[in-house]
Amino acid sequence: MTESDVTRRTVTVGLPNGLHMVPCSGIAKLAAKSASTVRIVGNNVTADAKSVLDLLQLKAECGAELIVEAEGEDAAAAVESIVRLFETNFDPDGDRPESANTDTALP
Amino acid sequence: MIVKRGIAVSHGVAIGPALVLGTESFQIPSRFVRVNAVESEIVRFRCALENVCREISTNEQLASQQIGEKYGAIFGAHLQLARDPKLIGEVESLIRTRHYSPEFAASQVLRRYAKELQNLGNHYFAERAADLFDLERSMLRHLLGEQREEVANLAEDVVVLAHDLTPSETATLDRKHVRGFVTEVGGSTSHTAILAGAFEIPAVVGVGHFLADVSGGDIVIIDGNHGEIVIAPDDETLERYRDSAERSRSLAQRLLSRGSRISKTKDRVRIEVFGNIEFPEEAEHCLERGADGIGLYRTEFLYLTTFSQRSEDDHYRAYRQVVETMGDRPVVIRTLDLGADKIPGAAVRAYKQRGNPELGLRSIRLSLDNLSLFKTQLRAVLRAATTGDVRVMFPMISSLMELRQAKMILRDVTEDLEDEGVDYRGDLPVGIMVEVPAVAMMAEEFAREVDFFSIGTNDLIQYTLAADRSDPAVAKYYNAADPAILRIVRRIVQAAVQADLPVTVCGQMSSDPKFVPLLVGMGLRQLSTTPLAIPEVKEVVRSLTIPQAEEILGRALEFELARDVEVFLRGELKKICPDLVE
Repeated sequence: MTESDVTRRTVTVGLPNGLHMVPCSGIAKLAAKSASTVRIVGNNVTADAKSVLDLLQLKAECGAELIVEAEGEDAAAAVESIVRLFETNFDPDGDRPESANTDTALP
Repeated sequence: MIVKRGIAVSHGVAIGPALVLGTESFQIPSRFVRVNAVESEIVRFRCALENVCREISTNEQLASQQIGEKYGAIFGAHLQLARDPKLIGEVESLIRTRHYSPEFAASQVLRRYAKELQNLGNHYFAERAADLFDLERSMLRHLLGEQREEVANLAEDVVVLAHDLTPSETATLDRKHVRGFVTEVGGSTSHTAILAGAFEIPAVVGVGHFLADVSGGDIVIIDGNHGEIVIAPDDETLERYRDSAERSRSLAQRLLSRGSRISKTKDRVRIEVFGNIEFPEEAEHCLERGADGIGLYRTEFLYLTTFSQRSEDDHYRAYRQVVETMGDRPVVIRTLDLGADKIPGAAVRAYKQRGNPELGLRSIRLSLDNLSLFKTQLRAVLRAATTGDVRVMFPMISSLMELRQAKMILRDVTEDLEDEGVDYRGDLPVGIMVEVPAVAMMAEEFAREVDFFSIGTNDLIQYTLAADRSDPAVAKYYNAADPAILRIVRRIVQAAVQADLPVTVCGQMSSDPKFVPLLVGMGLRQLSTTPLAIPEVKEVVRSLTIPQAEEILGRALEFELARDVEVFLRGELKKICPDLVE
């Protein structure tokens, strides 16, 4: 496989509690839909993005920089969808379920 | 013979064989499988996994519908975990290459990952190890086919021992055969305590680790009067406890026979004694004991017994049953007080993910955050109120804004029912639980906007003394006899009396006979207690005069330490009702 088949993007964790169970499962859910191999790299760990257990091993805390990479036919789309998760802080509708302060989560 | 001490939360003595619930580890019957059984064992693993996933999906749906999307997401994460390709691959490879049994393999893999999480050095991640242990448990449960059915269909009387009782577990308990509870954790107002009160059986909680010292079937004595349990007692001890159980039964009988008489003090002042109930059928128990009404109808149980969708008609039927049982007597229905220590079994983890659940999204806050849940309940209350004397009460109000919001929703619901032409009553009295210190400070202002106060001492104590009521480590800081509690309760009562507003105490404080003279002395003319305590509380009232009660209050307020207040009150009770003090 050549370098051109690999799509890479850098993301930053913005979640106050880091990349814990719920966001990891969000990533794994998206990655599982993709036909490509999807990995997240950071902290000297390379995690299979389809595995929640692997992703947890990244122990990515708030502010950590991670690389999302994928190789395969829909690599670009897979990376794009995962990057979007990070960009929206895992919060598709503006409701921030995992924010540390419950009050701010209330409408 | 082993004696352990805990916190006595429901009095009486129970003796019976132990039923040990929820031990953390399942017995794995065999660690290896025959080589030629490997393929069928893998199929068995996949079936079990499929069932685990199905169970989690159901919980996810229910949690999303009933508590909100954010809680559903927790189960979504569990589902993703159960389907983790790495996890499944490793388990199957252990079965295939090392001939591990699926139980052993799953346990090994999950525990290894849990350990790795614990070693990550980040507190927040380390806590997630609990999710893996949880998954291990449900995997083993499905593999072993164990559904805890033994709890629902008991053949003989047992005493139930557990680390903690979750609401969903206790809901399936066969009430006929459960004689008492003992839990390793929990405080005097924990769910177990409330439940034991409702079942009217002895309970000791906060015992600490003891489950390792007991096997199922061992004879265990639960001494709910002194907060002790005796595992495998010797004959002499057993005899002594049988005698004492007999004595307390006859005292209860004697009090009960006088129970139906109206409770007036010796100087003819009427003190109404209401019952606190959880299940609709308890209304009957209250009547038998001569209750003047239901002062607190906790409605959570509709949700805690099962985590399935509850319709407006489910609520309505439960409320009607209570209203019909009580006839013209008042029935105070408290809206949902879910959250913190009272949460639907399947959602426990979702709440526990929050750092400080007692200060979090619970009770009225949860209702205001989930309007459909709240409105469903309010509609049912208004519909059930067409006959009888139904009153509605909002729990854990902390500001006037919140109260006004809740009242506005109530008005909305009233209008909806009016528009729909449904039979309802719209003008029922609206009250609040006074259990947040902020409300005690603003009691005069609140008194202008509600029809009654009900002092919820359980939460009021925990918030005033900053002691988590369910944490045995701080149990000693949680004390109803604390001078600060006496003052804050008195403050609330004074504000109500000045505003000519009905006020009652519905926390556990009023179920403890030694506090009754004190509370009457403060000016309370209504008390709401657990059904079991009604005869005792009435007995104290009948043996008391108002000046005597006022004097007891005055002297109790002179003490600086909770310990001194307690000793004093116990001494006074002994003078008034020697029978009630051991």
